[in-house]
Amino acid sequence: MTQPILLRVSNFKAYVWDVDDINILRSHHHICGILTGTLPHLSSQNIFLGLPLQLMPEEAVLLVENGIAVLVDDPSAHYAPSPSTLRLWKEARLNDARQQIALTEEKGSIEASNPDRAMSENAKRKRKEREERRARAKTNAAPSAPVEDSPSPHPTSENPSQAAIGEPLDSTVVMPSGSYTVNIPASSSKLEWYAPHSNVSLTIAREAGIWLHPSTLQERARCGVFRDLWEKGYYMGGGIKFGGEYLVYPGDPLRYHSHFVASVIEAPDAALRPMEIVAHGRLGTGTKKAHLLCEWNDETQVVSYLSVEWAGFG
Amino acid sequence: MQNHPSYPVLSQLLEKYPATGGALFQVYNDLTLAQKWIDVEVIDLPACKRAAIKGKRPTPDTDRAPSICIVVPCSLSESISASWLRAAFTSLDPLPSEIYVAITSEDTSTVYYKISQGIVKPPV
Repeated sequence: MTQPILLRVSNFKAYVWDVDDINILRSHHHICGILTGTLPHLSSQNIFLGLPLQLMPEEAVLLVENGIAVLVDDPSAHYAPSPSTLRLWKEARLNDARQQIALTEEKGSIEASNPDRAMSENAKRKRKEREERRARAKTNAAPSAPVEDSPSPHPTSENPSQAAIGEPLDSTVVMPSGSYTVNIPASSSKLEWYAPHSNVSLTIAREAGIWLHPSTLQERARCGVFRDLWEKGYYMGGGIKFGGEYLVYPGDPLRYHSHFVASVIEAPDAALRPMEIVAHGRLGTGTKKAHLLCEWNDETQVVSYLSVEWAGFG
Repeated sequence: MQNHPSYPVLSQLLEKYPATGGALFQVYNDLTLAQKWIDVEVIDLPACKRAAIKGKRPTPDTDRAPSICIVVPCSLSESISASWLRAAFTSLDPLPSEIYVAITSEDTSTVYYKISQGIVKPPV
């Protein structure tokens, strides 16, 4: 029996932070979710997104009900680390920084010993021009003002990492000067002071106050319809592009076009306007899809389907 | 309306279901006169409190015989439901694989949508 997948809950939304879990969800359980993570330094990210994967509430409910995943209240899963644990963590971080700096220096010395390596004639000429320009600028500027002795407005610290962020000063660990990359792991799993408490059922999660879905008839209907389609082997994605609740795919959405747009009807007697049949039917047919009216019966917990297409005349 | 050639065929069901008479009259005329359906007859559909229309829809393909279709008329301003649509299926004998819902508007525009029971893949 494999360990259940941890769904990290934040603000009543379920996220997956582990790439391997995303792979398992998609390939074994045909649950896709959507990647929502962006990188702070790249603008206009709207096609290729990364961790975390955000799940639709219906997806999370199904995974927990089937025992594939458990819900974790991520904010309360971190406790205060002990001083010794914290020291170990800082030492690991220090070692990583030292290693990076050593590698950079090694690389720099190799390049310094062989400066002409990997430089084209053109690049060499340009560099020479740049150096000449700089030298000229220096001789021009020199007599104007003695800037050397004026005090700098920002006193440069020997240790920028400590001075910049309000990290408590710790005499035992002093981060080295020089540039290195600070790696921040996506999930907290590897941290010593991370102890996630698994909410193995929706009832437990509801009592813990971290998960409320499904709590209304509409949410029950959506979960019921999602589960029924999922059990038939379909893959579901969000249906907003085609004006429905879900897009229904016969296989992985990366390989197949969807065959259906599904809309959820809460009850057999829920009002349905003929205009909805026209709008859904015509849009679906225009995009080579059929529209599914998925009718939920809350008493019998049964879903009935009606497929809508334009008739081809009139 | 009483002088219209379609009236004698429809009169009995128009009187039985006056609320949906307008849609029935309009769809019947559209199918017989504009869509050129043949062997058109009216059937009583008490579960939907209206009459439905059964007929043969001519196909452009001359090799194939025209298929028998059942049309349930309804007005754009009505409020229907999923159970209403299901009732239309179950009250028909034999149980059809699909029905056509004809939706009528006040300006006599009529649109037809095919409703199938279950999950039916669209034609490729």
